[in-house]
Amino acid sequence: MLALLIALMATGGCFAPLVEKARPGGGRWLTLAILLAACALLLGEVAAFSPTRGTQPLDSLAAPDWWQQVSLPWIPRFGIRFSLALDGLSFALLLLTLAMGLFALLATWSQVKYRCGFFYANYLWVLAGIVGVFTAVDLFLFFFFWEVMLIPMLLLIAIWGYEARTAAAIKFFIFTQASSLLMLVAIIALVFIHYRATGEVTFAYEALLSSQRSPEAAYWLMLGFFVAFAVKLPSIPFHTWLPDAHTQAPTAGSILLAAILLKTGAYGLIRFVLPLFPEASQTFAPVAMALGAISVVYGAVLAFAQSDMKRLVAYSSVSHMGFVLLGIYAFNVVAFQGALVQLFAHGLSTAALFALVGRLQHQLHTRDMGHMGGLWSTLPRLSAFVLFFAVASLGLPGLGNFVAEFLVLLGAFGRSAPLAVFAALGMIGAAIYALVMVQRSLFGPPSAQVSSTPDAGALPQGLTDLSVREWLALLALALTLVFIGLRPQPLMDSVAPAIEKALAGEQAVTSKPVARSVPTTQEMTINTGGRP
Amino acid sequence: MTAMELYAILPLLVLTAGIVLLMLQVAFFRSHNAAMMTTVTVLVTAILACLVVTGELRDTVSSLPATTMLLIDQQALFICVLLLLAAMAVAVLGHSYLRARQVVPSATDHPEAFYILLLLCLLGACTLVCASHFAIFFLALELISLALYPLLAFPLTGRAFQNDERGLAMESAIKYLLLSAIASALGLFGIALVYGATGALEFSAVAAAMSGQNVSAGLMQSGLALVLAAMAFKLSLVPFHLWTPDVYQGAPTPVTALIATVSKAAAVAILLRLMSVSGWSEASIIGSLLTLMAIASIVGGNLLALLQRDIKRLLAYSSIAHIGYLTVAFLINEQTLGGEAALYFLVAYVVTTLGAFAVISLVADNALSNGSTDPGEALAPFHIDYYTGLFWRSPLLGTCLAAMLLSLAGIPLTIGFIGKFYIFAAGVEGELWLVLGAVIVGSALGLFYYLRLLLTLFQRAPMPSVAGSSVLAIPVTGQLLLVLLSLTLLTLGVFPQPLINWLHALYT
Repeated sequence: MLALLIALMATGGCFAPLVEKARPGGGRWLTLAILLAACALLLGEVAAFSPTRGTQPLDSLAAPDWWQQVSLPWIPRFGIRFSLALDGLSFALLLLTLAMGLFALLATWSQVKYRCGFFYANYLWVLAGIVGVFTAVDLFLFFFFWEVMLIPMLLLIAIWGYEARTAAAIKFFIFTQASSLLMLVAIIALVFIHYRATGEVTFAYEALLSSQRSPEAAYWLMLGFFVAFAVKLPSIPFHTWLPDAHTQAPTAGSILLAAILLKTGAYGLIRFVLPLFPEASQTFAPVAMALGAISVVYGAVLAFAQSDMKRLVAYSSVSHMGFVLLGIYAFNVVAFQGALVQLFAHGLSTAALFALVGRLQHQLHTRDMGHMGGLWSTLPRLSAFVLFFAVASLGLPGLGNFVAEFLVLLGAFGRSAPLAVFAALGMIGAAIYALVMVQRSLFGPPSAQVSSTPDAGALPQGLTDLSVREWLALLALALTLVFIGLRPQPLMDSVAPAIEKALAGEQAVTSKPVARSVPTTQEMTINTGGRP
Repeated sequence: MTAMELYAILPLLVLTAGIVLLMLQVAFFRSHNAAMMTTVTVLVTAILACLVVTGELRDTVSSLPATTMLLIDQQALFICVLLLLAAMAVAVLGHSYLRARQVVPSATDHPEAFYILLLLCLLGACTLVCASHFAIFFLALELISLALYPLLAFPLTGRAFQNDERGLAMESAIKYLLLSAIASALGLFGIALVYGATGALEFSAVAAAMSGQNVSAGLMQSGLALVLAAMAFKLSLVPFHLWTPDVYQGAPTPVTALIATVSKAAAVAILLRLMSVSGWSEASIIGSLLTLMAIASIVGGNLLALLQRDIKRLLAYSSIAHIGYLTVAFLINEQTLGGEAALYFLVAYVVTTLGAFAVISLVADNALSNGSTDPGEALAPFHIDYYTGLFWRSPLLGTCLAAMLLSLAGIPLTIGFIGKFYIFAAGVEGELWLVLGAVIVGSALGLFYYLRLLLTLFQRAPMPSVAGSSVLAIPVTGQLLLVLLSLTLLTLGVFPQPLINWLHALYT
């Protein structure tokens, strides 16, 4: 099923230009059909497998309980296998990937004018690569997909981006590629250490999980992985590619970048760094948490300083992903769950904001908030959504982002109070930049661009409010955010085994009792409240 | 010489006979196409001969000596096949090159000479690969160089070429001649010193004498260092790289491809043999020199490539860096992984470089036959700006060049990635962290110029001013070559196992 999913999207990508050539506009429909088919495949999976999941004993922590896996020999010389596997974490992220893929397609339905076929080909290839990243359990294969998803993304930015697209695309690519070469070295070193210990050459995740290595070696290897994922996340000081890439990318590209590509960094930390190097991660945790907390505040401050609306949203991403880093390295269940919820909440809210900003740019031909203002009176429906997602982004209670950030701070507080307090400043910063954005773009006197026609009743030239399609797409995101905000439990349940696995090593190190099942949020909040 | 020895050098004999045959053919029947057909036939026959000898090797012993001069083993045969295949690609490119310039057989123009020289160069390369004695080693090196001088200066041989092309070719040939002569002299002196120290010229005898006690270490080490310098010249490792960009730029593009692939691959192969058979890996000076040259080549090559606006010069510096990567494989003690890594990287390098030069050559031929006869514009087809929007003008050329560039940059799905993976594996195995650091820095630098070129291909608005840029018509043979090379690149990038098996078998 997993291989089929990837194959479907990859081959679909190859056909998109042909279909587009045969019938203009066809590439878009083909993409839609393929994404829907992929969603159906994935949802069929949950129907088939989730009942059996509960029956499996959760306490066999060493052997990950995959819902399903495929494993075929690929390069036997190095013990490399084509292994894909699915568990709750992967499933949730795959769902996010496909949902965001659909959302970005619908939100930018008619914005792509140039070389449509090739655009949708790249679009599908990016998604195929990301699906591969989220499911690969062979480290070589993981690296393979990790790189493969970059090329189409590079082309998306470089061909369909805005004015400074080439520089932004190259910067994006060099940052990620150079850091991932470090990861490649770390992967190979890991395999060689395993080979020297056991005489078996393998890149399989499970085999490497159980191998032993000296603390010093583990620390260096962990750093190799960490840098690659921190660049993708992105965390200070590796974030400088992100504002450029986000700003220059076409709208659909920005959505993919923010909603999914950044998540691969967090996924890598959860899936690989923590389980493979539990002790080293413990040692490194204070540094990582500090980086996370600094990212939160720094991102917020820089977001406030932007006059370019897209750049503002981009820096807010840095801030939000800082919470993820903080939560992951706080090493407790609460913060960890917060980090995971943040992945989804940030994905939804930022994707929506990028879609809205992109749409504004498409029609106003500017991203500068100085040239906006008074949008509410001309575009009420769009403005309402901007307001909604902006307050979601600042962490309004009742929406997903609030739950996530609250949990992260709560968990991090138990670990390091000063850092948690410092990071909490970021939430104030978020309130400031989000409200400033809303204030400058939506309210106030209408700017020249917005009210270019003297006729006050009609909309200015080329400016239209949301269509029904866009409205529905955004509404779906908004409702999901509300749902996550009010009832995050289903999401937490689906990722619970992954949390246990990631924290298992840590618990073995500190010899705390292993949490058998994850209690509800409410109970946990109480539990941690009692903790010193 | 016994029959068995003659049998062992069958590929070399086929090549020699082919050269004589081609010369006779030209004496009686002047035809460009016929010369090309004969060349390809000779090359195919030589490949078949290689395969026949391989079969013989599998049945009996691991290597066949042919007198003390030559030693045929699996590795040598594998490299020979690679070289011969590369030569076929060069022949196809040469055909297109000569046709585009309307070089027809006449009293003043001799397109057939190109093929004779090509085969001579190949004979030298294949002999070098099989050499097991310093005398034949030197002879073969000289044969390659002697065949390359007229090839580099080929535009001077006829009236059909334009003046600026002749000027560039002259510069390139003279530069190569002078520097190559110096390198040969150094190598010869080094061989003399080695002989002085050990009293032997045969690789295995030198190795035996080296492990003995009564060898003057200073003499021996300086001798080896000088021979290595001569090899480094052929491989254009920093600091012996100075000729590379100018020669690459000035030479006819098919000849550039020949220098970049055949001459370098042969040098890599013989270095590999010297390391294993001749016990070079034990000599301390070789290891430290190679480490220095590898780091210098990787960093220097990539840094200088950043500054280039001419695509041939860019590829020249990038090839310096690539040979630098390859050198990493020589630095490790475990011969199996090192040899495998070196050969896989070499195959990747040859395929990719040929592909890149093929695209460049075909684009330039096309520009020429579209009639941009304006003097001074001969260089324009090699300028990066000429490639703006190539992907939209000619999807085939654009896709192929993009694939080649991605492979050079070492991105997955391409053979270049597996090659780089091998280099990383070798580096980790040998715990060469400093060199690996240089490889990573170099790759990051490399990405910048590869991507800049790649994105130029995809740029939205093609420059309208470029003459004849709207249509790109390329010969069918050229198209076929490109498709074949691209398919090889992808297939071996996604399913590397068959080639790995083959290479692995060479060492077990």
